[in-house]
Amino acid sequence: MNFVDLLMLGFSEAMTPANLGFCLLGALLGTLIGVLPGIGPTATIAVLLPITFFLPPLAGIIMLAGIYYGAQYGGSTTAILVNLPGEASAVVTTLDGYQMARQGRAGAALAVAALGSFFAGTVATFAIAVAGPTLSSFALNFGPAEYVALMVFGLLAATILASGPVLKAIGMILIGLLLGMVGTDQATGAERLTFGAVELFDGIDFIVIAIGLFGFSEIISNLERSGSEGVTVAPLTRLWPTREDFRNSWAAVLRGTGLGTLLGLLPGGGATLASFSAYSLEKKVSRHPEKFGTGVVEGVAAPEAANNAAAQSSFIPLLTLGIPSNNMMAMMLSAFMIHGITPGPSVLTNQPEIFWGLVASMWIGNLLLVVINLPMIGLWVRLLTVPYRLLYPAILLFCCIGVYSMNNRIFDVILAAGFGLLGYVFRKAKCEPGPLLLGFVLGPLLEANLRRTLLITQGDPSIFIERPISLVMLIATVVLLGLMIFPAFRKTREEAFQEEEA
Amino acid sequence: MNTRFALPLAAAISLAATTAALADWPTDRPIEMIVAYAPGGGTDIMLRTLAPYLEADLGTQIPVMNRPGASGEIAYTALAQAKPDGYTISSLNTPGFLTMRIDRKLRFDPDDICPIARIVEDPGMFVVQAASEFNSLADLVAYAKDNPGAVSIGTTGVGTDEHLAMLQLEQSAGVDLTAVPFGGANEAKTALLGGHVTAIGLNVGEFASAEPGQIKGLAQFAGERSILAPELPTATEQGFDVLMSSERGLAAPCAVPEDLRAKLSDAVDRALANPEFQEKARQQGLALSYQSGADWSAAMPERLARYEEIFKLIKENQ
Repeated sequence: MNFVDLLMLGFSEAMTPANLGFCLLGALLGTLIGVLPGIGPTATIAVLLPITFFLPPLAGIIMLAGIYYGAQYGGSTTAILVNLPGEASAVVTTLDGYQMARQGRAGAALAVAALGSFFAGTVATFAIAVAGPTLSSFALNFGPAEYVALMVFGLLAATILASGPVLKAIGMILIGLLLGMVGTDQATGAERLTFGAVELFDGIDFIVIAIGLFGFSEIISNLERSGSEGVTVAPLTRLWPTREDFRNSWAAVLRGTGLGTLLGLLPGGGATLASFSAYSLEKKVSRHPEKFGTGVVEGVAAPEAANNAAAQSSFIPLLTLGIPSNNMMAMMLSAFMIHGITPGPSVLTNQPEIFWGLVASMWIGNLLLVVINLPMIGLWVRLLTVPYRLLYPAILLFCCIGVYSMNNRIFDVILAAGFGLLGYVFRKAKCEPGPLLLGFVLGPLLEANLRRTLLITQGDPSIFIERPISLVMLIATVVLLGLMIFPAFRKTREEAFQEEEA
Repeated sequence: MNTRFALPLAAAISLAATTAALADWPTDRPIEMIVAYAPGGGTDIMLRTLAPYLEADLGTQIPVMNRPGASGEIAYTALAQAKPDGYTISSLNTPGFLTMRIDRKLRFDPDDICPIARIVEDPGMFVVQAASEFNSLADLVAYAKDNPGAVSIGTTGVGTDEHLAMLQLEQSAGVDLTAVPFGGANEAKTALLGGHVTAIGLNVGEFASAEPGQIKGLAQFAGERSILAPELPTATEQGFDVLMSSERGLAAPCAVPEDLRAKLSDAVDRALANPEFQEKARQQGLALSYQSGADWSAAMPERLARYEEIFKLIKENQ
């Protein structure tokens, strides 16, 4: 069978009324849990997994996949409207998306996010269909040494993410690295910075920090001014993006899609890394980097396209090699196993209807999400007009439920409250928490891979420059570092931020 | 809700309550099943698959609660503090349950927790790439003898099953291997397929459900060959003294009356005999191996002694 025949087979499988229904159900559920901060797709899929026993294999898998990419859509909604990243991958969307909402352009931000995601989803779905089998071998070349180089580059690039002085950004990254060290050291089994608390043996959860720094501290700083002005919603001029918005965002969507598709392939990469990287790339190529963080449409379009593309392309290593690249894919792997299907090359040949049915349903699901979400933008935007005295207790409640339900323990909620206070202090000191989160996520990966590399080579660091991928990335890091120290560049950057202050 | 009432002062009251509840157990309210790992893991899926069969058998509801963290200590502490009325049970995993008492101070007394039944015994094993030049443990050992430290073994951390198995092999064969810790079995497997490590430790259940043709096994570390890998020789058969298998089952506080624990154990036994459950277990690569709580309990001291010996080795190496 040729490519077109296989794709037609996939669509005929995905278009049966039952499968279409489960696709819609999954997409709706995903949007809902994406909107609710803290309740992530991993936990939802885990709870729903046993139910899929009773469904035909393809229907069950289509529904679970729908939850996953639906959550990527929903996560951006709360990021834009209330500055609360529903998912880790939506953290950077808060930077410009929330600013747009405050200027009364929430509708435009949501529409650009939805359309950008749809475009990225379409491209990534075709990437799975066309290049899946060949691309997945690239991911295997990524060994510990390549990861070290990638992380070093990523951490340095994170300073571009922040809008304050470079020194503050580096300080935030270092705090992130420190927080990432909490827990049991994987290489020696020693406890680090746990202060004897058994709840900290496995480190601090990302959600605890994200909800504390973004969610709680946002509420605190709003309480500060609620007495005088109340709700900070600017007049809503229009729901649909302007022609100028479209003109400004299409290139960003294209770049985000490309970057996201590639990063989704890497084991451990996935949607979060993709959205962070796309944002810093966009800021770098932009002709007006100083405006990032004040509500520019590219700052929403690029990361949203990237995280959706990565969410889809992370299916490639799973479907073609049977290797899950992140937690979510590990859950999908168990979903396949429950139905006695082992993802891998043999599925492509023996059960093509499963592989192609899923690929086709992803595209249909993305289309459904746009159809569901665009008319609902008005409804989401109306959320902003709910008085804060009602909205904020509700958000606080959802945050607490989300944090509690991860491990069913009150300790996490208290910890998140502590991070809320810390986040408030950061706000007052004009330190952005974005780089802290990236340091927190990348730090442990950097450490683990550095130790792995040196263990494998028995202490010989020359492997970093012997392996081509690693060498290229290290050279890029040095160039970036040079650019930051180079006087002309530094001056432009400082000027840019002074303008912003004014 | 349960910790405060477990105070000695309330002991008499709770004893009375236990006796009263005995008659109705377990039909008057749901039995809470604590899982010591995050949703989606092997233990979680095993117990979520089993729960409906236990519900049908006992005529009650069994909601599953995940209390992950500290390799099970958080869940075991919660179990030890629960009211001993038979309405709280928990997952129990070895070697974690046995090894955690060796090198750290625990928040609970392991003697307060009694196994109900073992459900699965999943031996550890070493695997290499399918195209690897190594075909047996002896091949690997011979190469490691000539190149000390050059053989890298992917594990999931210090003191984990794979690491303990590697230490046993080092001692038994007199070789020097390099442990490389990964975040999980999947990460380790990716590194193996990319050629970044020589071999990795896996469980037979994971091996049996993996895509065929990518990896091959060198040896399994059980006393007898597992039903999931009848073709693969054990390390003992190949002349190396390596024994390492992970056992997964259920436990309750020891203060729960013994006949309640026996009823639970029997219910697990019947569920495991159900062909419908067996079919689901087969699809998930579960190496079903029922053992009653009493038998499992009796086998633990010997395993514990062995682990204590290996941990001494780790200490000496550091």
